[in-house]
Amino acid sequence: MNSKPSISDVTVARRRPLSPNIQIYRPQLTSVLSIANRITGVVLSLGAVGLVIWLTAAAMGPRAYGAVHGVGSSWGGRIVLFGFTFAFFLHLCGGIRHLVWDTVHGFELRSIYISGWAVVGGSVALTVAAWTVSLLLAG
Amino acid sequence: MRSPLARAEGLGSAKGGVKHWWAERVSAVALVPLTVWFLGSVIAHAGGDYDAVITWLKTPLASLAMIVLLLALFHHTALGLQVVIEDYVHSDARFAALIAVRLGCLALASAGIVATLRIVFSP
Amino acid sequence: MIVESSDQVARFTLLKRFPVPRNFKVTPESRIEKGRTWPAPPGASRIKTFEVYRYDPERDGNPRIDTFEVDLDDCGPMVLDALIWIKNKVDSTLAFRRSCREGVCGSCAMTLDGTNWLACTRFISDMSKPATIYPLANLPVIKDLVPDTTHLFAQYEMIEPWLHATTPTPEKERLQSPQERSQVDGYYECILCFCCTSGCPSHWWNGDRFLGPAVLLQSWRWLADSRDEAKEKRLDTLEDPFRLYRCHTILNCTRTCPKGLNPGKAIAEIKKMVVEREG
Repeated sequence: MNSKPSISDVTVARRRPLSPNIQIYRPQLTSVLSIANRITGVVLSLGAVGLVIWLTAAAMGPRAYGAVHGVGSSWGGRIVLFGFTFAFFLHLCGGIRHLVWDTVHGFELRSIYISGWAVVGGSVALTVAAWTVSLLLAG
Repeated sequence: MRSPLARAEGLGSAKGGVKHWWAERVSAVALVPLTVWFLGSVIAHAGGDYDAVITWLKTPLASLAMIVLLLALFHHTALGLQVVIEDYVHSDARFAALIAVRLGCLALASAGIVATLRIVFSP
Repeated sequence: MIVESSDQVARFTLLKRFPVPRNFKVTPESRIEKGRTWPAPPGASRIKTFEVYRYDPERDGNPRIDTFEVDLDDCGPMVLDALIWIKNKVDSTLAFRRSCREGVCGSCAMTLDGTNWLACTRFISDMSKPATIYPLANLPVIKDLVPDTTHLFAQYEMIEPWLHATTPTPEKERLQSPQERSQVDGYYECILCFCCTSGCPSHWWNGDRFLGPAVLLQSWRWLADSRDEAKEKRLDTLEDPFRLYRCHTILNCTRTCPKGLNPGKAIAEIKKMVVEREG
């Protein structure tokens, strides 16, 4: 009666390690834009809360609205709103890309990369354009 | 010891999921024009004071679009966050989180609609 | 910047790896430790360094990364040649699967420089410095570069990957027009190397229930086959929030397929067919 376990006993009893996944897998435009779409979606959920606060303040009257508007027009508020604007355009462009895929179009790798970079460029351009127009109108 | 096939099958197919997927797409399609309209309107009223915003929201088109926007937005948000939770939360907190998201979105959409209606029917 | 086909090795990468901690979500037994270095034989002039994942179930201890210096003048051109060179000349205990050495068997699928590919069809000259070789991502490791694919093949078994027909067997073969036959082009060529499934983040987090790109592509191969008459059963099996709809069209699958197939497109076809059945 040997108490020392045999090699096969050890291998059966030991849990196999899991080969690394996200720790080593290289970021690609495909996965980076996918996680970006998800993160912007979660960020925009917070933006949606902001929308309800803004509407509620407007319904409450000039004083409440003024307070919310004041926060939004402050420098900190503007930086946050700029972030929301970029998140919105990235999610919008990425979402349209997804809707096109849902019709089973644009799945060639070349198309995937072209549409991917178009989403990146488009959302940056639209964010800049929106803020330029906004600041010009505000005078 | 269960067979690998039995483990892969688990509880079997829910024979569903297309309704969630479809609703996410329909709300997305609705949100494209609605959100662009909203952003455009906000930019147009960027320097606008309280009166300008109230006057705008009192117009039938703006108030109707705002209510549809709130419905589509929070429907889409609830569906999207549900997937995020299902993907990453594997603990008992999962169902609590799913319920919280659903109810939270319902409450926020309701609050937004009530606020819009109060503006519309304010003197 | 623009990748034209999956065999294109990325020259441009923003990040070498995602900015997560090295031991992010890693269980204690999976934690990777430092291994040893195996220097090149004396006199070797063209040396390539390979960092290789090692795990020996018959030894105590965790997986580790060994560094091998390979003499390129003594070695064939592909990554598989380098592994064979190491096994023959340096460390005979190195374990890996290989068979055809020409990209048709799917045995030597591995994570090469952070992207899944077949060791036999990747040139050493296309590998980074140092080259990194891990077993196919997110799978239990049996030894070194040999992953346990039992669950993936069980998922494959689940979709019953063979012809189902209620029409009585004809005297000769079941006929297809050339047009009907072309519908399975781009899908029947799958060699089940599981590069795509192993590279799919959604399968990393929910692989117990999500079928993954390889198995879903195989499902579409039968759904697209004009001779198959089990569409209802097949779609019933698939239509599930996890089995099918955990696919979020990330498209790492299409990026990595060493046969240049398009699992992402196959899954979109399935989702479209489910919608067609609905309305």
